[in-house]
Amino acid sequence: MSNQRQASSASQVPHLSPAELSYLYTSLSLPKTPIRPDGRSPTQFRPLTAETNILPGTNGSARIGFADGTQAIVGVKAEVEKTILSNETLARNDGGVGGEQEGSAAVGGHGSWVQMSIEIPGFRDDDALPVFLSEMMRESLVGAVGTDETSDMTGGLKGRLVINKRWHWRLYIDVLLLSQPLAYPLPLLSLTTHLALLSTKLPKLKSQGEEDPFFDDDWAVAEYLYPRPSLSSGAKSSARSSFVRPPVTLLVISVGENIIFDPNREEIAVADAVLAISITRDSEAGNLKLLSIRTVDPPSRLTQPGVPNSENVSMLGAVAPTEDVAVLNPATGEEEVPGVWRPRRGGVKRSVIAEMVKTALKKGGVGEEVLEGLEGVEVS
Amino acid sequence: MKSLRRDVSSNPQAANVTSKVFVRSTKSGKVQKIVRELYLRQDIPCSSKLCSLCPSIAPADANGNIAPFVLSDRPAGTKAFPRGHYLVPDTNALLNGMDLFEHTGAFYDVIILQTVLEELRNQSLPLYNRLLSLIKTDEKRFYLFFNEFRMETHVRRGPEESINDRNDRAVRTVASWYEEHLRASTKKSKKEKSIPAMVVITDDKDSIRKAKAENVTALSLADYVAGLEDSEKLLDMISEAKEARDTKGSARGELFYPEYYSMSKLMTGLRAGNLHQGVFNVSPYNYLEGSIKVPAFDKPLLILGRDNSNRAIAGDVVVIELLPKDQWKSPSTKIVEEETVTKNDNPDTDETEPMVTDRERKALQEEVKQAHGKNSEGKPQPTAKVVGVIKRNWRQYVGHVDSNSTASHSGRRQQTVFVLPMEKRVPKIRVRTRQAGDLIGQRILVTIDSWDRDSRYPTGHYVRSLGELETKGAETEALLLEYDVQYKPFPKSVLDCLPAEGHDWKVPASKEDKGWNGRRDLRDLLICSIDPPGCQDIDDALHARPLPNGNFEVGVHIADVSHFVKPNNAMDLEASVRGTTVYLVDKRIDMLPHLLGTDLCSLKPYVERYAFSVLWEVTPNAEIVSSNFTKSVIRSREAFSYEQAQLRIDDPSQTDELTESMRNLLRFSKILRQKRYDAGALNLASPEVRIEAGDEAGDPLTDVKTKAMLETNSLVEEFMLLANITVATKVYGSFSQTALLRRHATPPPQNFEDLINQLSKKRGMELDVSSSGALASSLDRCVDPENPFFNTLVRILATRCMTSAEYFCAGAHAESEFRHYGLASPIYTHFTSPIRRYADLLVHRQLASAIGYEGEDGHAVIEGVSTRGKLEDICRNINFRHRNAQFAGRASIEYYVGQALKARGEKMAAGGIDTGIDEEGYVMRVFENGVVVFVPRFGIEGVVRLEDFVLPGESGVYSVSERRELAVHRTTDFDSEEYTLRVSEKNHSEKERSVQVELFQRVKVNVSSVKEEGRGAGKRRVRVLITG
Repeated sequence: MSNQRQASSASQVPHLSPAELSYLYTSLSLPKTPIRPDGRSPTQFRPLTAETNILPGTNGSARIGFADGTQAIVGVKAEVEKTILSNETLARNDGGVGGEQEGSAAVGGHGSWVQMSIEIPGFRDDDALPVFLSEMMRESLVGAVGTDETSDMTGGLKGRLVINKRWHWRLYIDVLLLSQPLAYPLPLLSLTTHLALLSTKLPKLKSQGEEDPFFDDDWAVAEYLYPRPSLSSGAKSSARSSFVRPPVTLLVISVGENIIFDPNREEIAVADAVLAISITRDSEAGNLKLLSIRTVDPPSRLTQPGVPNSENVSMLGAVAPTEDVAVLNPATGEEEVPGVWRPRRGGVKRSVIAEMVKTALKKGGVGEEVLEGLEGVEVS
Repeated sequence: MKSLRRDVSSNPQAANVTSKVFVRSTKSGKVQKIVRELYLRQDIPCSSKLCSLCPSIAPADANGNIAPFVLSDRPAGTKAFPRGHYLVPDTNALLNGMDLFEHTGAFYDVIILQTVLEELRNQSLPLYNRLLSLIKTDEKRFYLFFNEFRMETHVRRGPEESINDRNDRAVRTVASWYEEHLRASTKKSKKEKSIPAMVVITDDKDSIRKAKAENVTALSLADYVAGLEDSEKLLDMISEAKEARDTKGSARGELFYPEYYSMSKLMTGLRAGNLHQGVFNVSPYNYLEGSIKVPAFDKPLLILGRDNSNRAIAGDVVVIELLPKDQWKSPSTKIVEEETVTKNDNPDTDETEPMVTDRERKALQEEVKQAHGKNSEGKPQPTAKVVGVIKRNWRQYVGHVDSNSTASHSGRRQQTVFVLPMEKRVPKIRVRTRQAGDLIGQRILVTIDSWDRDSRYPTGHYVRSLGELETKGAETEALLLEYDVQYKPFPKSVLDCLPAEGHDWKVPASKEDKGWNGRRDLRDLLICSIDPPGCQDIDDALHARPLPNGNFEVGVHIADVSHFVKPNNAMDLEASVRGTTVYLVDKRIDMLPHLLGTDLCSLKPYVERYAFSVLWEVTPNAEIVSSNFTKSVIRSREAFSYEQAQLRIDDPSQTDELTESMRNLLRFSKILRQKRYDAGALNLASPEVRIEAGDEAGDPLTDVKTKAMLETNSLVEEFMLLANITVATKVYGSFSQTALLRRHATPPPQNFEDLINQLSKKRGMELDVSSSGALASSLDRCVDPENPFFNTLVRILATRCMTSAEYFCAGAHAESEFRHYGLASPIYTHFTSPIRRYADLLVHRQLASAIGYEGEDGHAVIEGVSTRGKLEDICRNINFRHRNAQFAGRASIEYYVGQALKARGEKMAAGGIDTGIDEEGYVMRVFENGVVVFVPRFGIEGVVRLEDFVLPGESGVYSVSERRELAVHRTTDFDSEEYTLRVSEKNHSEKERSVQVELFQRVKVNVSSVKEEGRGAGKRRVRVLITG
C-alpha cells in the first residue's frame, strides 16, 4: 500500500537494482543517441489503439489502449444549467450600466463548469493521485483561451459552454483507467480525454438570443463541442474555428542532456526530471501553444544509491583509484562516478527545459505529431 | 504515433443490433441524449393473405395462435392497377388525406408503417388517434407493419441524410421488399399471376422521383385519387394545408398577420411571466372581440380585432402578450356579426384587400370612441394580442356554403368558396371544391387545415355532406356533430356484454342463486316511481313507511346498473366515453344500450328489479336518525307521472297505503326543502321549456311548454338530493382520495359586478353575493310587483354569472373546496341516475365497495376506479360530455321552436300573411345597435337589431329584406350608463317617432321564424320585432 501512496509522485517505482538503474541511465543519457529499453527513438510514442463513441449514452467518449496493456476510457456528458449571476454583477446591472458589462462569467464562462473525475483502480477518489491528475488536466482544459475573437471558441472551452447570459452547459468528464497504473498514467488519460472531447457533441440550439434554450431533437445535427472541418468542407465558418483543439498533456523526461517523450515505467525511474507539458492549438496559423508545465516529483529520488568501488569496503584496493574518478554530470552539474547509481536530487538546467518545450512545440515536432495522430482517429 | 481502430464489422452480433438516438428535452429543462437499442428480427409477418411464408414464421401467442392476417388476397383494383394493389402511404399523405383514408368508398388494404405512425404522432395527435382507430377496425384492412424492427426493412440513416429523407426511403424500402417478398412467397403457386401492385402514396416530389429510379410505384395523393371512381368528391377531401403553402409560397409577399413567436421565445416568456397562456374565447355577440382568462389575472383579458387575435380560433390554447396601456379598451357595446361586415369578400381574391378591412376598422373605431370617458362599467380594460399558439383545438365544423361566394355557372371547375360554420365564433372557412354547385343548400362537414399569415381566413377542406339544409336528419346530425355527441349505434363488442337472456332476463326466483348474494329482499315494500310522462328509463323509485317506534323509514331505490355493467369491459368503456345520455327533442342518444336502459335496469312497475337502496330512519319532523345502504331486490307498485302522482295525493278519497306513503314523502320533502333554503341553497332558474311532441294536426306551438313545477317534482328532487348527499358522505369516508364527487365552486364576486351595477342603476336593488345564503335572500327581494317575471329574469342572469358545477375526484381538491355552492351542501355527488350518467355508475361501484358488497362471484367490484389518475381523466371527460349534452339539448329545443314557428307561419300564410305571434319579452342586454330580448314563452333569446324595432306609426309587416333596408336610415342614442337605447329614424329624432328600451324592461314582441341568410342558415332565426 505504501507503494501506491507514493505513486502520487510518479508511479510505482519498479524494483530495479542500483546497477540496473545505472545501466539504464547510462544508455538513456548517451549524448545525442539515447538507447531506450524498447528501442524507440526519443520522440517516438508507443503504439496505441484508439476508438471513439464507445459509450452510446454519452455526448462523447473514447478509449485508448497502449501496447503495454494500459487502457483508459473517458466519457463526456453535458447538462444544461442556469447561470447564477454573482451579486456583484446583479448590482452592476441595477446600476444601469447596461448589458455590455453583464457578468463576466455569463460571457466568458467559468472554470467550474467543467468537472472532471478520475478513477484509478486501487485508489480512492480522494487519494492524492486522482485528485492531482484531474486538477492538472482540468486546469489546462479551462485555461486554454482562444485568441480568435470571431470564432465560436472565443474564450476557449469555457466560452464554448456559454449558451446565453442565463444558461450554460456543464461538462462532466469521467475518466476511467481500466488497468493498473503501470506507468505514470497522465499521458494516457490526457490523450483519451482529448479524443473524447473531440468526439463530444452538443445538441443543436434552436432558440436564439436570451431565450430559454431549446434544442433540436435530432442527434444527427448535434454540433461538435470543438468544431471540426466539415466533411463536405463547404461550410466556411466551421473551417475557420476548426483549428481550436482541446489540450493534451505530454509527459517528458530528461536523462542527462537527452529528452525523451512518452517514457515507460523504467525510463521514468531513472529520469532527472519529469515534466508534464500541456499544449494546445488555438490559432489559425496552426502554431502550438504552451499552456502549462508542471514538474512531477521524479521517482528516482527514492531509489537506493549504488556504492562506488572507492567507498566499498569489500572492494578496497581491488581497483585502481584512478578509475573511480568522479565526473561532472553535464545535465545536473553534480559529480558522479560513472556506472554507479545515485538517486537524482532534482534540479535540471534551464537549457534542458527550454529544449523540451521546443521539441514539443516546434513545427513538425512531437506535439503536432500527437495532435495529428489523434485527429486522424475517425470520430463518428 | 500510430493508432488502430477496433473493427466492429466483423462482429456477427452487430448486424441485428442497431440503435436510435435522439435528444429529449424534459419539462424541467434537462436536455438528454437518449439511445434506444433496436434488436432487428425476421419474424414480423407481411400479413398478406397471399403469402405462404409468413404464416409459418409469424410469432405465436401463449396459446399458439398467430394474429389473423389483414391484407386481402384479392385487393381492389383500379384502372391503373387491374390486378389489385396495396397502398403504402407516407406521413404527408396521411396528414393531407386522413378523411380520404377513412372514406368507406376507397382506400382498402393499406400498409401503415411504424415509421409513418410515429412521425404522425409527433405531428398531429388527433390524426394519430384517428389512424389508430382505423387500424383497429377490421373492415378497412389497415395493417400496421413494424418495419423498423424487421431486418430487411430497417433503414439506417446515412450521413448527411435528413430524417425526412430517411423516412421516405424507409417507405420505399418497404414497398420494394413487399413486392419481392410476395413474389417469392407465391412462386410456383397459382396465385403467382395475381400479385397486387405496391403503391406508395406520397406528396413529396423528390420521393416520387427517387421511387421511379428505384423502380417503386409512387403516386401523389391527388394523382391516385384522380384514378378512382367518384374522384371529384374525393379530391375535395384532400387537405388544403400543403397546397396552400405550395402555391403561395414566398412568391406573394403580402402577409396579413404578424408572425408567431418562436416556441423557445414563448416558453421563456411564459416562464418569466411576461407572456400568458389561456384558452381563446370569442364573444357570441361580436366576432371581433375575444377574451382569455389567464391565471395571473382575476378578470379575462380582451383581444380586440383580427390582427390582435392573429389567427386564433375559439378553443385554441394560445399565448398572449399584454398591449401598452394606451391601447386598452372597453369591451364592445355593439353587436357585430361577421356576415354583415364581410359579406362581399371574394374567397379567391382577398390578396388585394388589407387584412383589416375599412369596414371592420370602422366597427372597431366606434367602439373605441365609446370607451373614452366612461364610468366603472365602460372603463378601458387591459387588452392583449396573440403571439403564439400552443395547441390548436380545431375540430370538424358543420356549416354551409355561402352562396354569395360561389361563382355562378362554373360547372365542374374547381373553385374556392366560403363555408360559414354554424358556430358563430368560428370565422368563415375557405374551401376549394369541384362540387360547389351541388353543395349549395347542403349542410356540410368541413375541417380547418391551416391558417397562414398570407390568408385572411383559414383554409379547410370538405369532409362530407349531411344532407339538405333544414331537413330533420341533417340538422339533428349537425347538432350532434357540433356538440361532439357519440351517436353511432353501439358496436357488437358492446352488445356482447349484455345478458344473454335479453328481455327475458329476470331476477332469479331462488334466493340461493348467486344473484341474491348480499342483496336484501325489499319486494314487500310499497315502492313507486314518479317521473316525467312517457319516461322509459326509470332510474329511481321511493317509499316511506311508518316504523313501530313512531319514526319513519324512507327509501330511495336506484337502478342497479353496476350489476350489469362490469368494470373495464367494452360496454363500460363505451359508456365512459359517452359519459351521459343526450336528450334531444325528438331523439335520445343513450349512454347504455337500449336493453339495459329501458328494460333490465329500468325500475319498471310490477316486475322485480335489482336496485341499490338508500334507507333512512327519520323522525316525523324529518330529522335523520340513521342511514343505511344496501343492494336489494324491489318490485315497484306503480310508475306515476308527476301529474298523476299529484292528483292522487290531492285526491282525499284515496287512502290506500301507497298514497299515504306518498303523502308522507311529500311532507318530508317540504321540510327538507325548507331546511335546505335555510342553509342558503339557491333557487336558480334556467330558461327551460319542454317540448311535448304532440299530434301533427294541431298547432305545433302548443307542444312548447314552459316547465311546470308541481309539488311532486320537488318531492322527487328533494329525496334525490338527500340520497346524493348521504352517499357522497359515505363514499368520501371510505375513499378519501378517489371518491368521485361533484362540486360547485363559489363564484368570484367580480363575476356579479355587471349585474349588481345594472340592478342598482335600473331598479335600486342590491345583490349581496357574500355567500350563497345572502345571495338567495337578496334574490328573493328582487321583486317587481308590476312585473312578475322580473324575479325569474334576475335569477337567470345571476345563474349565468356563476361557474358551472363539475365532477372531481376527492384527492384533487382540499375538503373545504368540496362545497356545492348552489345546493349549499358541504359535499355532493351524483348517485341517482346511473342509467343516463356515467358518474353515477362509478359512484355505485364505489358505494358497493364501501359497504363491503362483494358481487355475485365474491370479487371486489371496485377495480378500475381506484386509481386517481384514471379517475381524473374520466372526470374531465364526463364534465365535457355533460356540458355538451346540455348545449345540444338546448340547441335542439331552439331548433324545434324555430321549426314550430315556421310550420305555424306557413299555415297562417296559407290564409294570408305571416304575422308572427305577439308575446311578451324582457330586455336582457343592451348594445349600442340592438338589444337581446328573452321570450319566456318559448325560452328563447333573440337579438333585436336596429331594423327590427318597429317605430311608432310604422307597419310591422315588412319582409326581412325590406326591413334590412331600414337599418341604414336608423340612428341610435345609446346610454351605456343608464342601459337605455333610443332608436329613431335619421332626421326624425322626435320623441314621438322613436322607441326607447331599457334593461329589464318588459316589451311587446312579435316572434316569427324567418329564413336566415348567412351564418345561421337553416337554423331559422327566430325574428323578434319589438312592437312597443
